[in-house]
Amino acid sequence: MNRREWLKCMSMLAVGAVTAPSLLAVFDAHAAAQRADTTAPFFTKQQSDVVAAVADIILPQSDTPGAVEAGVPRFIDQMFRDVYTKEEQQHYVHALAAFEKAGSKPFLQLDAAQRKALVTRLHEEALAKSNLNPASASAFVLMTKKLTMLGFFMSQPGCTEVLQYVAVPGAYHADIPLSQAGNGKAWAIEAELTI
Amino acid sequence: MDKNTYDAIVVGTGVSGGWAAKELTEKGLKTLVLDRGPMVKHGDYPTAMKAPWELPYADQPTREDVARHPIHTRPSFYGIKQSTKHWFVDDIDNPYEETRPFDWFRGYHVGGRSLMWGRQSYRFSQMDFEANAKEGVGVDWPIRYEDVAPWYDYVEEFIGVSGSVEHLPQLPDGQFLPPMELTCVEKDFRDKLAGKFGRKLIIGRTANLSAPLKHDKSPQRAPCQYRNLCMRGCPFGAYFSSNSSTLPAAEKTGNMTMVTNAIVYELIYDNAKGKATGVRVQDAETGHQTDYFARVIFVCASTFGTTQILLNSTSSRFPNGFGNDSGEVGHNIMDHLFGSGAQALADGYEDRYYSGRRPNGFYIPRYRNVGKDKRKYLRGFGYQGSARREDWTRLADMPAIGEELKRAAETPGPWRVSMMGFGEMLPSHRNRVTLDHNRKDKYGLPLLNFDAAHEENEILMGKEIIDDAMEMLTAAGYRDVQSFKIEANVGAGIHEMGTARMGRDPKTSVLNGWNQMHACKNVFITDGSCMTSSACQNPSLTYMALTARAASHAVDELKRGNI
Repeated sequence: MNRREWLKCMSMLAVGAVTAPSLLAVFDAHAAAQRADTTAPFFTKQQSDVVAAVADIILPQSDTPGAVEAGVPRFIDQMFRDVYTKEEQQHYVHALAAFEKAGSKPFLQLDAAQRKALVTRLHEEALAKSNLNPASASAFVLMTKKLTMLGFFMSQPGCTEVLQYVAVPGAYHADIPLSQAGNGKAWAIEAELTI
Repeated sequence: MDKNTYDAIVVGTGVSGGWAAKELTEKGLKTLVLDRGPMVKHGDYPTAMKAPWELPYADQPTREDVARHPIHTRPSFYGIKQSTKHWFVDDIDNPYEETRPFDWFRGYHVGGRSLMWGRQSYRFSQMDFEANAKEGVGVDWPIRYEDVAPWYDYVEEFIGVSGSVEHLPQLPDGQFLPPMELTCVEKDFRDKLAGKFGRKLIIGRTANLSAPLKHDKSPQRAPCQYRNLCMRGCPFGAYFSSNSSTLPAAEKTGNMTMVTNAIVYELIYDNAKGKATGVRVQDAETGHQTDYFARVIFVCASTFGTTQILLNSTSSRFPNGFGNDSGEVGHNIMDHLFGSGAQALADGYEDRYYSGRRPNGFYIPRYRNVGKDKRKYLRGFGYQGSARREDWTRLADMPAIGEELKRAAETPGPWRVSMMGFGEMLPSHRNRVTLDHNRKDKYGLPLLNFDAAHEENEILMGKEIIDDAMEMLTAAGYRDVQSFKIEANVGAGIHEMGTARMGRDPKTSVLNGWNQMHACKNVFITDGSCMTSSACQNPSLTYMALTARAASHAVDELKRGNI
């Protein structure tokens, strides 16, 4: 499975779990952000602020940290800078520009309720479409959602405060009540079977 | 010359080379062990203890990583991620040619692919050793199950294989450590397959220590900690690799000399003696060339590594490649059918879960063309798979965002059953690899050119792998049953075999029943190239058993003065 296909087809992930190394290891935007990084960021300040604001709507701070606290905006920047192809970069930048024009005002000038309403509407639009234009405003929201999830659920706060993570389990219990599986939340890292 | 002379030389340090090194040194032979890559000592696994958030890019390969592995990442990205990419060679410095597409995933370092292998460990059965002769396919194996059985016992006991005793003629039991457990949905599926089809579903047999080893010869190895990060190298030594298991045993004898960055590019043949006298080696870093000499040589450089050395070793005696009187060297490439299967969702177990990360899955042993079952194609396949709960990734294409998304992610998702077939590939003379003397790699070695594809039997079987998986998941009452087929060329199973096969007749095979070259009795080949047929079981355990058996025979023959 192509490492980029997960962004197009999440339902294939179980296949990936059997055969591909793709998704199941992880990232800490915190750690990366703390490293000396002399390379220029991918996004402009304006673009970066929009990405951060959308990430904050997708996974907000609550009783646990949200995407911004977990360093997700920096993670998304690094993914576009070093991982995605030129074509994918261009699609995302064009999609971001379309997103800026999708509301009654530029996104950062909307109030909180308007921002959330716009993101929610475009997200629903994206899910309803079978053939999404990758440079469209709704594609921007869906791609940002997926990258926000990836960055967040593989960060330390995502793994340890929202999900649960044990570095060295020491034992395997195959069939136990959900309530007795640690704190009963989903495990951060699923069993990866690499054959 | 004296300082470069040993009793034995072992070329390669993967599963086979490691075993050859252990056996020959333990039997008292001063043994030179060569690997073309750098040293990796047990414990020298740079990413082994990294937390998820200590790896950049969500462990994905960067553009630069993909640019260095353009062929490798074409089908599967196997291992090309931040946590394991250092174990795989790139396509820039290590090119090969493809008359027909071929997936070749290599690791050039001490331990070879024993570091990154899938650890599934199954015996071949009597049915497998007899099939070629019964069906008139390829050539007959010169050995039968009973020849290998005691050596399976021997290697299983030393490496530690976890599994369950099942009394299946097509999948003989072994010397097992306790089996790992099945999840609740795997048990549900097992019971339904037994009831509706009379087929078995068992826990995978894996070279992970589910309990302490039953011997005290590997104090560096501890039981599995259920982290399921095996491919990074295990600091607990909980799965078998040459690095954790056989090479420390060889080192302990005091009889092993290891030379790394040592690319063997030629075997030396002495016409007068009618024997191989040694190997020619080029240093991977300096280019310096050295000859080493020994009375017996074990070539365990991996199927195609060995093939490349044989084809590159020409002389007046062997104008077509070392030991290649039959013309079969490089032919009969086999792998396993790989990448096809089906998956589904299972309801009714929402209150059940698991803890720990099991480095193993379930196995459905071969049932096609077994007993009274008869198909349009020959041989059969097994399935490997698992049933576990979906994680947060399921929510990407679902409506939730905001706090609702966070809460949904905290809850384990539905149970997903996924299974993929591993099918037997028949030996065919048409499937071959040759040397292209017009193109050389940076070490001056002619490139390998692959020319192999699945043929009619594989295509028929591949279709049934998908049909049967769909049928079983549907009959089990699961929902959203979907097939999948991943783009995979021959080689994608990373079970390459067959290019220097064993056989009874020197006219049609390269090795005899002791993995000894028909045409040069002091050369033994015990990696995947020796295989006469592929069965459908993961083959590494068989390479280990054949290696230990061949080493024992080689030492006996040396003592008798026969080689």
